[in-house]
Amino acid sequence: MDRSRDLNSLKIIGTISIFLVLVLALLSISSYAEAADKDNCLMCHKYQFLGRIDENGKRINYHVSESIYNHTVHRNISCRECHTYIKKIPHDPVEEEVNCANLCHIKTPFSQERFSHERIIEIYKQSAHAPGPGDSALLEKSKPNCKFCHLNPMYTRVSEERIDYHESLSRCLNCHQEKGVTQAYIHMTHRLRKKTSRSPQEIVELCAKCHQDVELMKKLNVSKRGQTAVETYKQSIHGKSVILGSEVAADCISCHASNALHDIYKKDDRRSTVEKKNLRKTCSQCHARTNSWFVQVAVHPSTERDENPIVFFANLSLKFALYGTVFSLVGLMLLETFGRKKDGIKFLLRNGTSWRGKPKQKEKKKK
Amino acid sequence: MSIAPDTAAVGEEVKAKDDYFTFVEGVGNIPRDIYKYVKSDPAGDLPRYSVHIVIQHFLVATTFLVLAATGLALHFADVFWAPYVIALFGGADTARFIHRIAAYIMILTSVYHLVTITAGSVQKILKNEFDYKRTQIPTPKDLFDLIHDVKYFLGIEPFRPKMEKFSYKQKLHYLAIIWGTIVLSVAGMALLFPGIVAKIFPEVIFKLHSQPATNGGFPALFQDLARLMHADEAVMALIVLAFWHLANVHIVPGRFPFQWTFLTGRITREHQIEEHFLEYINNLKEIPEERDYMKQVLRENEFETSILRESTEEGSVEESTAEKEGD
Repeated sequence: MDRSRDLNSLKIIGTISIFLVLVLALLSISSYAEAADKDNCLMCHKYQFLGRIDENGKRINYHVSESIYNHTVHRNISCRECHTYIKKIPHDPVEEEVNCANLCHIKTPFSQERFSHERIIEIYKQSAHAPGPGDSALLEKSKPNCKFCHLNPMYTRVSEERIDYHESLSRCLNCHQEKGVTQAYIHMTHRLRKKTSRSPQEIVELCAKCHQDVELMKKLNVSKRGQTAVETYKQSIHGKSVILGSEVAADCISCHASNALHDIYKKDDRRSTVEKKNLRKTCSQCHARTNSWFVQVAVHPSTERDENPIVFFANLSLKFALYGTVFSLVGLMLLETFGRKKDGIKFLLRNGTSWRGKPKQKEKKKK
Repeated sequence: MSIAPDTAAVGEEVKAKDDYFTFVEGVGNIPRDIYKYVKSDPAGDLPRYSVHIVIQHFLVATTFLVLAATGLALHFADVFWAPYVIALFGGADTARFIHRIAAYIMILTSVYHLVTITAGSVQKILKNEFDYKRTQIPTPKDLFDLIHDVKYFLGIEPFRPKMEKFSYKQKLHYLAIIWGTIVLSVAGMALLFPGIVAKIFPEVIFKLHSQPATNGGFPALFQDLARLMHADEAVMALIVLAFWHLANVHIVPGRFPFQWTFLTGRITREHQIEEHFLEYINNLKEIPEERDYMKQVLRENEFETSILRESTEEGSVEESTAEKEGD
């Protein structure tokens, strides 16, 4: 009786496990991005060594990895929606660059309008990083465009983390229009949970790519504080925490941009998040108790003599105090060690040490 | 076997000096170098610290090590070992959290210490037993002790100074710890609660401060100074503890290889007589067993014991006689 029951339950378990394996196998098949390659570009671009050596001897690889591309945010967008200049296959040598402001054939679910990055590009165009009318040739060349920061491998999906939905919603609205998205969003889980999809370390690294280059910054007539911005940030508690892998400490974007991320202005600009009047709001993102006094605290602390003379001399005198104390105390200790040689080790060896609990009186007694 | 040379070096002219012998009622003349003849238990013979002080030392030492490990790694974030230490504490955010918890425990321990010493002092004052010489309060004598000690180290003086329960070094260190704890706590609080600390300064200071607002005014200056002082004071404390405190307590001749006082709260007899002679005299007055023992040592080593009613010439001492003498 028992044995047949065991057999029955074994059968049931076996059936269920086979079923589960099948379901899991089905689930694990990634959705193949058919829409992305309707022009069959991968017919050639799937080859890993597809490339050429250009006139300057530079090697260029034109390989597109399907497995990587199918996991990027652009996986449902066909090649020619960005590479619009390609009219025929095989195509002519490419002269143009992609334009991120193009209208895609992807329609946003509520507005049913074709999607575009135009809105964020409008924000970028007003920021300090966009080429302006009065820029020198060098400055214009040095300013980052979309692709400078948004490298292709970065278009991967970010991990979900729950934060306040208002925060991430404002990020959606950078590109999407407000109607519909707001209601839809509240009922959905979403991936844009953090202010930036990159880690704070990656953000600092990205900004430091140019801003750490003091020579370049000098050429571009950046202010003295601007030249040392990365260095001073790394001396601040935010910077130190980020270097050591903190996930919550402020990176560059946390303070210098709002949720639109691209609206980085000079600090005198009224729209800038680090402008004096906006500082309180910016700091209160993390520091709940901000006040007009708090925002005056230096986020990029400098101990340079000409910038902050009081702090410079305070630092100098503290150093003197430190080394003075240490050297005088250790000096006294060494003098003591030297001076007690006469009743130090020899004394211990001759008389026995208190460690062994031996009385030290025997020698005199024998006399 | 003849007398050891260092004992022989104490010549007659030194012994003739007024301060070589210290007379104690009921015991006799205690020679300054009697510590070379006494028996010592490594775990300690004489009371020095109460159990509260032992607990406080343990708490402060433990939290200090945690604070130093997390704090140093956070402050010197760009040196090669910092990430490993931080990884040991579970990442930067966790390390900062641990740093705060350890700091709170240390501050609570400081409060515990203040309560203990205040209550103890009040108790002693009520019993009329309070003696400021047996406390950490600095006196001019400490300066003379330092000069005397340096002279001894240079070979000018034959003996170390007769010091109280706390020597000049210990008083200096104690004051430094008070100062350091205050500075580190205040600066640490300024770093932890910049908003509150920026606000508690009265408006007057802000206005008096002549520095133009380009540097951020007084709250910002205070924050800058807090950053400097917190790090500087901590590094100083660490170096002093590592190279001075540990060496003085466990390594210098006479203390090597280890002292158990920080765990047992008791000090060895030899150490007490050598470095805290006046406190040992107090011990003799307070502890009858110690009086008996000292009399025995004096007799065995043929020191002058004429001050006693009966002096026995025998090498060994009967306990009954010792007890009588104690009375």
